Amino acid sequence: MEITTTENNGIQVVAFNGKIDTNTAPEVEQAFVNLLDAGQAHLLANFENLSFISSAGLRVLLATAKKAKLQSGGLKVCCLNETVQEVFDISGFATILQVFATQEEALNA
Amino acid sequence: MADQKDKPVILAVDDTPENLDVVKGLLVPEYTVKAAPNGKIALKIAEAQAPDLILLDIMMPDMDGYEVCRRLKSNPQTADIPVIFLTAKGETSDEAEGFDLGAADYILKPVNPPILRARVKTHLALKQNMDALQQTTAALARAKERMEKELNVGRRIQLSMLPSSQPDDDAFTVAATMRAARQVGGDLYDYFFINPSKFCICIGDVSDKGVGASLFMAVTKTLLRAHASNDTSTASIVTRINDDLAVDNETCMFVTMFLAICDLHTGNVRYTNAGHNPPFIKRADGEVESITGIHGPVAGAMEGLAYKQSELQLKQGDLLFLYTDGVSEAMNAKDELFKEKQIADKLFKLPGNDPAQSIEMVLGAVDEFAAGCEQSDDITMLGFRFEADTQAAAQHSIELTLINQLSEIDRINDSFNEFAENSAVPLGVSLKINMVFDELLNNIISYAYEDQDAHTILVRIDLISTRLVIIIEDDGVPFNPFMREDPDTEASLEERSIGGLGIHLVKKVMDEVSYKRHFDRNRVTLTKQLDD
Repeated sequence: MEITTTENNGIQVVAFNGKIDTNTAPEVEQAFVNLLDAGQAHLLANFENLSFISSAGLRVLLATAKKAKLQSGGLKVCCLNETVQEVFDISGFATILQVFATQEEALNA
Repeated sequence: MADQKDKPVILAVDDTPENLDVVKGLLVPEYTVKAAPNGKIALKIAEAQAPDLILLDIMMPDMDGYEVCRRLKSNPQTADIPVIFLTAKGETSDEAEGFDLGAADYILKPVNPPILRARVKTHLALKQNMDALQQTTAALARAKERMEKELNVGRRIQLSMLPSSQPDDDAFTVAATMRAARQVGGDLYDYFFINPSKFCICIGDVSDKGVGASLFMAVTKTLLRAHASNDTSTASIVTRINDDLAVDNETCMFVTMFLAICDLHTGNVRYTNAGHNPPFIKRADGEVESITGIHGPVAGAMEGLAYKQSELQLKQGDLLFLYTDGVSEAMNAKDELFKEKQIADKLFKLPGNDPAQSIEMVLGAVDEFAAGCEQSDDITMLGFRFEADTQAAAQHSIELTLINQLSEIDRINDSFNEFAENSAVPLGVSLKINMVFDELLNNIISYAYEDQDAHTILVRIDLISTRLVIIIEDDGVPFNPFMREDPDTEASLEERSIGGLGIHLVKKVMDEVSYKRHFDRNRVTLTKQLDD
């Protein structure tokens, strides 16, 4: 799992390369916690290179979204592949989180 | 009083009072004698309470003795009372008429006292024996009826133990029939899936017929189901069945068996023959082969035997034909046997290789051969035609094992991805399967074990034409992940309710999910169709 964070107009764009599952979820959670601890609560998860996400990953996204909101920020996600989109649809996360087709749209929203 | 009651009652009928007095004088006090002066009164007395014997005069005014006898015989209430004509009519034709009417005897007047006493005694004894015989016959008939009722219940139970539905599967067609020689039989057949890619077929014949054999058959069948549920080696299954049957087998019954397990993608068949008749294969090209090997003696006879197994290869359209000796040893009126060769001939002539048709044809031939001779043994047949195209299906299975550590999930997903790539599983599907493995294996590793020991988890993946079948087995605590409510401890309930999301995902992305506790193992089976 490769996690790259870049800043774009005050939004922290976190890009993932790999999968978010039981084994990588703690790593992902730590990356978000580090940003939130540093006062960065405007977050965008870019899933362009994410192969799949399991419920362990969904839990991390949920926890992160809640914390970001408490810090007056939020968690957006973009660039979901078909499998990840399906998981978001099935789990209802597509309505809990703000989902965008491209990073561009997410940043401008 | 009691004495009087026990005395046989004789009704004497005569219009001459003196004659009645003579009879009374001869038969009292040995018998109770009732007297009637004419036929009308005699019939009344007889109908009111049937005497044990009637002495009947023939020549009487109004109604003669013949008419009285005719009426007595036509009334079921009095028909069985022996009638002795006591008359002065001495013509042979008179005597004949009396016997024609159903009289027991014919005595001429004037009576000879010793002869009258002797004949009365004889006919009373005869009547007593007749009555006893009738009672016994009636009791026997009732007992027989009861037994037949019981046997019919047994028959229904036995038939209900046979597979009733045809599995609907593209990879094979199966058909079977059993015709017991008596209400219940000692033959058995069975077929069932051991797992989605292994299909088990079996035929057997218990050493005897009737109730004992049917009970032994039921035990054998139960053992087969139990031992084959988690075992795909026919040698090991038959070895275990034999051991279980042989223990405390005081009746010394035994069963011949042919057990086969077919791999539905490869057509490979493992089989064990325990003293059973050699089955046939009718190849798709018309060739008929006999499967002659024997891998051990009849099952149940001796404990501790290690049965062997062989393998054979079925191709698309090949028919495996199993039968019991009720077929090969069916007899005709000349005591000739139907013989194996005639089965082979029939199969050879069968145009297609349809299992049901093959059975019908052989059964028809047996019936024609026996030509109405009573069926002496149970007749059972099973046909299995392999339908899968082994060329197209090739080898698309892997079996993986992991130990209960979360880091192992990656290795399983890597192995699966390699398999998926080789088997041209679409990426969208394999990513979902990756997620499914993460959910289910994580669940097992995190929650299934109460100890700290290392446990092995088995993962089997089969691609059957365009259907992906995944089996995950663990030896953890019994737990059905697909049940919503979990009656576990509170801490883990909380954990699992969070994990419920993962199970929800699994259910949604797979086509079918099922759970079964197999002895001491949890078995989850998942299927996913690729071409949608």
